[in-house]
Amino acid sequence: MSELRDLQRRFMGYLLKQSVAIIANVQSTPVLSAKDRLDIYASAYKLRLKEAITSDYGKVASYLGDDQFNQLMERYIEKHPSHTTNLRYFSVNLPELVRDEAPFNSLAELYELACIERAFADSFDAKCIHYATLAELSTLPEQAWETLQFNFQSSLQILWLEHNTFPIWKALSDDNIPPKSEKTTASAWVLWRGSDLISHYKVLSGAEAAVLGLALDGETFAVICEKLLVFFSEEETPMKAIGFLQSWITEEMLESFNW
Amino acid sequence: MTRPFIGFGLGLRTEHYQHVIDEKPQVDWFEIISENYMVPGGKPLANLDKIRKDYPMVMHGVSMSIGSTDPINIAYLQKLKTLIERVEPLWISDHLCWTSVNHINSHDLLPLPYNEATINHIVDRIKQTQDVLGRQMLIENLSSYVTYNDSDMTEWEFINEISKRADCYILLDINNIFVSANNHHFEPEQYVKGIDSDRVMQFHLAGHSYNGDMIIDTHDHDVCDPVWNLYEVALGHFGAVSTMIERDDNIPPFEELRKELAIAEKIATKVLTPEQLNISENITLEGAA
Repeated sequence: MSELRDLQRRFMGYLLKQSVAIIANVQSTPVLSAKDRLDIYASAYKLRLKEAITSDYGKVASYLGDDQFNQLMERYIEKHPSHTTNLRYFSVNLPELVRDEAPFNSLAELYELACIERAFADSFDAKCIHYATLAELSTLPEQAWETLQFNFQSSLQILWLEHNTFPIWKALSDDNIPPKSEKTTASAWVLWRGSDLISHYKVLSGAEAAVLGLALDGETFAVICEKLLVFFSEEETPMKAIGFLQSWITEEMLESFNW
Repeated sequence: MTRPFIGFGLGLRTEHYQHVIDEKPQVDWFEIISENYMVPGGKPLANLDKIRKDYPMVMHGVSMSIGSTDPINIAYLQKLKTLIERVEPLWISDHLCWTSVNHINSHDLLPLPYNEATINHIVDRIKQTQDVLGRQMLIENLSSYVTYNDSDMTEWEFINEISKRADCYILLDINNIFVSANNHHFEPEQYVKGIDSDRVMQFHLAGHSYNGDMIIDTHDHDVCDPVWNLYEVALGHFGAVSTMIERDDNIPPFEELRKELAIAEKIATKVLTPEQLNISENITLEGAA
């Protein structure tokens, strides 16, 4: 199969603009050269990948405008040939390219905007097994509370943002002119998908961000309560901890309990 | 074998989910793009499950890369198998092409040279794939825009030989025959009549676009009259074959596509007897690999 393998490598080399050797394997017609015929595939290759990126990062596209977004797509396609069988996952590394490479990294909010879009895409088709209920919480045996840990929905993600990027994202989603980008105090946003199959998001208080992060890392309820003492008095802490836990359940962030 | 006939179907597209769920329109079956549902969960699978309760389905893949010289992608096949277990399709199909090499995916259906060496390579891979999946599959003819110097047989001879030796079936895309006939200067009727009838399990119909002298398989227009004419020829040659219309771009409202499907039904009614158009029951394709 070495001949077929060589042919396929040459063809892929043409799509990736690395080699024109495949031209020698292809017949010309009276009206179309071998190169013209191969260019149909080369154009379709790039067009298809650009469609996938645009579909995944529509807000980034709107924010940058056609020319700069096209430049970004060209660079991404060049740097990241697809290693996935599913186009859904082709563009997953785009935020990191935006963060790491000029001229895209000159807009600090752009990386955050790309992260938000990736987070929504990941939330959209994340696996969901079960939504924990308050009834299940109420039936936990007393000894469970000593070692209680939490399994969150796989759709749940925390994004730490240093700009007003969520308002920018929201304006772009509503086809409005986005606000001017501003650096802000770092804030944590949580994004997850509920049983309505819709992705939800909200900004977290400092206390909730800290303990939700710990809970996601597998820390126990006891450790979470200890952490809350940084934010609240000893009298307030138990009620605050239970309050956070109840809201994670009622807002359908939590999948199940471990103890 | 007696070819099972499941009637007239449409490609299930996200734009039509709500209409299909709410209105339950009369369509004999839906074809899904397998990869769209090879995801962990969420809306795509939830909608799929809802619609599957009301309609038979077949699965059509675009990334098996059966003609690739990379090792068979077992991880892909395992995911496909998981989806098969969920959907319980009447059958599954993919394209007689390659999409990836050196583990880089073109996300396009790239043509193969039509020769004995390629046949041997692909027959072996289809057999392995059918073993992993535990069922027979259908392979579909492409639209193509290049001819390789290494090809030494017709496309219909190539596809016949592979389906016979691999003991798989053929998904015959009537539009692709028309497109490739234009692009490679052969008679489309000759292709249709050259295909081994016993192996044909399904037809695809679709629209296309012109790019200078080439026709491109874009699936963004209605089925055109010459393709309807070729469909009529194909029905006359093969008898009843389950038929569906693919539309992937410039997607119209569902009822427009349903009207287009009614044209296929009308042609079939003209060419075939009512007995030939009886819907088959208890269809299983499996275990022959």
